[in-house]
Amino acid sequence: MQYAVQTIGLTKIFNDWWGRPKVRAVEDLDLRINQNEVFGLLGPNGSGKSTTLKLLLGLLYPTRGRAIVLGGDGADPKINRRIGYLPEESYLYRYLNPRETLDFYGRLFGLPARIRKERTETLLEMVGLKAVANRPIGTFSKGMARRIGLAQALINDPDLLILDEPTSGLDPIGTRQIKDLIRTLASRGKTVILCSHLLADVEDVCDRIAILYGGRIRAEGPVRQLLQQSDRMQITTGPISKQALDQIRQILAAEGGQVEVSAPMERLESFFMRIVSDAQARAQPTSGAVSTTQIGGFLVGQTGQELLERLVKTEPQPAQGQQQPVPAPTPSPVKRDVLDQLLDRPQKQQEEGQG
Amino acid sequence: MTMDKVLAVASNTIKQVVRMRIAVVFVVLLLIILPLLAAASTGDGTLKGRLQTFVSYGLSLIGLLLSLFTIIAVTYTATSDVVQCQVYTVLTKPIRRHQFMLGKFLGVLVIDLVVLAIMSGLVFGIAVYAPRLIGVDQDQMEQLNNEFFTARKGLRPREPDVTTEVEQQYRKLLEGQELEQVFKGLPKEQVIARLTQQKRLEKRAAAVGQDLMWEFHDVKLEDPNGSLFIRFKYNVTSNPVDLQIASQWLVGDLRQLKEGSQVGTPIYRIDRKDPVRTFREFTVPGDAVAKDGYLAVAFLNTLENDTVVIFPLDEGLEVLYKAGGFTGNFIRGALLILIRLIFLAAVGVFAGSFLSLPVAILLCLLVLLTGSTSGFILESFSFLGKNLSLIYEYTLKVLVEALPRFDQMNPNRFLVPARLIPWSLLIWQGGGPILAKAAILLAAGLWIFRSREIARTTV
Repeated sequence: MQYAVQTIGLTKIFNDWWGRPKVRAVEDLDLRINQNEVFGLLGPNGSGKSTTLKLLLGLLYPTRGRAIVLGGDGADPKINRRIGYLPEESYLYRYLNPRETLDFYGRLFGLPARIRKERTETLLEMVGLKAVANRPIGTFSKGMARRIGLAQALINDPDLLILDEPTSGLDPIGTRQIKDLIRTLASRGKTVILCSHLLADVEDVCDRIAILYGGRIRAEGPVRQLLQQSDRMQITTGPISKQALDQIRQILAAEGGQVEVSAPMERLESFFMRIVSDAQARAQPTSGAVSTTQIGGFLVGQTGQELLERLVKTEPQPAQGQQQPVPAPTPSPVKRDVLDQLLDRPQKQQEEGQG
Repeated sequence: MTMDKVLAVASNTIKQVVRMRIAVVFVVLLLIILPLLAAASTGDGTLKGRLQTFVSYGLSLIGLLLSLFTIIAVTYTATSDVVQCQVYTVLTKPIRRHQFMLGKFLGVLVIDLVVLAIMSGLVFGIAVYAPRLIGVDQDQMEQLNNEFFTARKGLRPREPDVTTEVEQQYRKLLEGQELEQVFKGLPKEQVIARLTQQKRLEKRAAAVGQDLMWEFHDVKLEDPNGSLFIRFKYNVTSNPVDLQIASQWLVGDLRQLKEGSQVGTPIYRIDRKDPVRTFREFTVPGDAVAKDGYLAVAFLNTLENDTVVIFPLDEGLEVLYKAGGFTGNFIRGALLILIRLIFLAAVGVFAGSFLSLPVAILLCLLVLLTGSTSGFILESFSFLGKNLSLIYEYTLKVLVEALPRFDQMNPNRFLVPARLIPWSLLIWQGGGPILAKAAILLAAGLWIFRSREIARTTV
């Protein structure tokens, strides 16, 4: 099987002015990232994550070893035509506005003017910056620049998306959107490499992770497998009587188990999302980015159609004879709650598959 | 498709340079200074002098400011994307690194071209329309059309062969044991060079009451009814009280006088009084040239004067005739500036491909300065270099000689004396070699940029 990304003994040593080895940023790295996989590269600051990505893309040259990206060299235009890359900072031209920025990157892919225009508008809509599309990026907050950074990484509808700290500087809505997007793209068959030290982000979206420290892999495997505690069990239930609870305690005590009972807390992320959604519903004004639930039509593609078909099935079935036609894969807005349901499905299927 | 990506980077570079207000500063400076210059130029007091000064200062200013602009813009745009890391998002797209750098180079050149066209157009417009606005009379306008708004070819008299005379003199000095006394231990070749120059000057010197004659062959006027212009400059051994020299000139086929034969073509006699050490010219009808293209110019140092008159070597006397129009010549003059800008942009790309911004700017400024004064620098080093010999011969001299001689490509050398800028200068003599050197530097810069690591060390 051909891997989306494979590194063989990849090593990068930075030398000082006299040519003496100074820092071993990456050492004997053997990575294998499968096609259609969301892979998380984790590690503390300075562990070699970004350096690895730059080695994959040919921005740095390896001291030893080699990196194979989509079956070739990541610096080869034939290969990077299929790659979308968001660096650790957005690194955009401050004097261009978002529309000009996306058009410029589209031209580098040789996209015809009509397609560039279509994709630019769709992506601007998707990242919620259409209202400020004519303002120079130099005046943007970090999070807004990050959104444009993400949009430029998607302009070519890439097969491999490399995201370095994609959620840094983003508000929780933006963070959530990016996580949704990653899952959606993965469901379309794309490969995503996610590099972050925000563990919650990685845990939410990655199929597999590798933890780097000192330029070496310290742990690697499927997230579920790495995190599952096989010596502990968790029982979740609705409200029950004190009597029933005592009975459960007794049974578990007889089994020699320890019991901890508490009311579960809502996750801060969900709580925050609920408050902001309420404010948006009341149409309160903002000069910043706007939260949208739209995914660019050219990114959703055929799988998007399947997605929407499934979406229709989860809705109450219309009366016989009034069957709705399947919507075309245009960038029509998908409702937030519906999308959430949709994104849960593949996870459930995975669980079923594993069970 | 390949060019598309280069053009995408070029148009982005234009936006960068324009929006970062790099170009604006230079354009505003030019827009303020040029009209001021037009009002302030006085020259030698005549209208022609004013126009000469204005065009000369105007083009020099445009050339200088655009040279500085090119250096700053190219080095900035070539280095900033690496320093500010935009290359991370650009060079991970399907564009090759040389295309990226080429786009930067082209972007700056497009701005150069536009600003150069507008600004030199402004100088041209002011120069051409100012006399009409002032309302000069017919005669003055005709003089301007003959001596300034034109493009002329120049013929200089061939230097006489003085080898035998110099050898005789050298032998005489040697035999008379005066050599050591006069030349104080100079090597033979330098003594010979000095004696040759002396002899040549002697041939261009006329004592009071003496005359000088220069002969020209193959004078071919484009328009037989056109005019000839005799351009000259006097040096003197002692200054006249009024700093003026009275003279009598004969211009035409003077062979007719010698042989006493019938006069076929007219011979013109001109009596003048001109200041010393200043270029002057007078007009003679073109029919003075004989049918076989022969023309002689004779000068008489009249008895009114009390000093020897010397016509300096090279530029002391010249016969000029119309060979083209002012507009075409002016455009070629602007192209000479453009060639310089292309070379500087190539140096900028080369320097920016591996140096930091301040060092790259410094290198480019050094190239501009050395190229603009390379004649002087080469002469100074050749003089000093005798003691440095080998080291100088194989290092500095090679470098300085490899640089283009911008001083020889200065349009003012041609436009001020209304001299034709030949296409051959643009294509073969100056322009071609300079552009070839620019291409080599550009290729070297692109190769370095292609080979180097783009990302910074961040661990």
